[in-house]
Amino acid sequence: MRDFDFLEPTTVEEACRMLADLGEECRAMAGGTALMLAMRQRMLSPTHIVSLARLDALRGIDFDPDQGLRIGALSRHCDVAHSAVVQQHYPMLASMAGRLANPQVRNQGTLGGNLCYADPATDPPGCLMALDARVVLDGAQGERVLSMQEFLVDYYQTAMQSDELLREIRIPPPLPGSTGHYARFLRTAAEHRPLVNVALALRREAGCGHAVRLVVAASTAIPTRAIRAEQFLEGRVVTPAVAAEAAAMVAADIDPLSDQRGTADYRRAMVGVTVQRSIAALFGLAQE
Amino acid sequence: MGKHLINIQVNGEAHSVEVPARRMLSDFLRDDLNLTGTKRGCETGTCGACSVLLDGVVVKSCLSLAVQAQGSSVTTIEGLQGEGGKMHPLQESFMQCGGLQCGYCTPGFIMTACALLADNPRPTRDEVRAGLGGNLCRCTGYAQIVDSVLDAAEKMHGH
Repeated sequence: MRDFDFLEPTTVEEACRMLADLGEECRAMAGGTALMLAMRQRMLSPTHIVSLARLDALRGIDFDPDQGLRIGALSRHCDVAHSAVVQQHYPMLASMAGRLANPQVRNQGTLGGNLCYADPATDPPGCLMALDARVVLDGAQGERVLSMQEFLVDYYQTAMQSDELLREIRIPPPLPGSTGHYARFLRTAAEHRPLVNVALALRREAGCGHAVRLVVAASTAIPTRAIRAEQFLEGRVVTPAVAAEAAAMVAADIDPLSDQRGTADYRRAMVGVTVQRSIAALFGLAQE
Repeated sequence: MGKHLINIQVNGEAHSVEVPARRMLSDFLRDDLNLTGTKRGCETGTCGACSVLLDGVVVKSCLSLAVQAQGSSVTTIEGLQGEGGKMHPLQESFMQCGGLQCGYCTPGFIMTACALLADNPRPTRDEVRAGLGGNLCRCTGYAQIVDSVLDAAEKMHGH
């Protein structure tokens, strides 16, 4: 790994100024798990690292019944998984955070760092998109609030400018009857990067789903909402046949990645299976 | 490229050492402090042989910079030793249950198991398997590693 300067700003303004001044030659670091890996493999060789660890504005997890949830970008995955308010109000998010990667990475990696890296084979972005999360960016030009769809642009690419950092993630308060299911498919039990993941959030009333948000990720360059299947499920009584039809729609509509971890056909097939199982699990249907 | 003075507690002992920014925590422990119990395996965050406790939680020291540990407390496998060189119950159990063959991954497994049992003193077999999911062993096939952790849990915390 090449040598670099390690900078430790203590305010968001100072950090943004450093990022603006240093431009593409520097990288911001939160937990550092992904950045260290990329640097050790010389995929990235920044001359400067701007550590965000001293920025208290990026810490904490707070819930307000009117405002919803605020997660500071430096919250580690284990903090999200163990947070009492996340477990109580957003159990799907707590469940995702407790299964992501492996224990060591959950203890060190942060939610903000994960989102900014925009690795497709990860868990949080799709789950947050299903929960209608927003990210709050701070930069030299001020604050921007983006939806997950606006924030995630492409394979390892976000809408952030080089002088911006991610301060916090916001999730709207859950509506009555809100429920969700987060599923991930791994090729082997020991693998940590999902081949497919599916986040399904909705309001459940008498066997029907309302305000359905169904997001597929890890098999696509960026998380993708399955709009046709969402509309199909909206207000419909869910039976095994309905679940199968929705799953087939999702599998047909996505544009899967194809690489050494899985061909497009394999991923498409497993997306269908995972969606069908998720719907069945959420509505208590008998599974095959 | 600047050097950074870090103040760090390692196995209860305070150290104040100047390191270059790029020094990994694993290299700092092994090369600067001569604590070679922590192993470098894949060095890409996959195998977990370099696992240590950082302020009580288990992390991979090959993915951490030494400067990130400024002001923290680190425990390595050497720090588990009791009075008069007495082995930790996890070390005893790994020996008795055959939880190792070549032994290279063992310090990482034991540090991860140590954090697991601190969080969950009486884990089920599945909880042990999930808790050790970030560590690889190429010799044992894992069954005896899981047996070792369950055996230690019983010795340390009873049924």
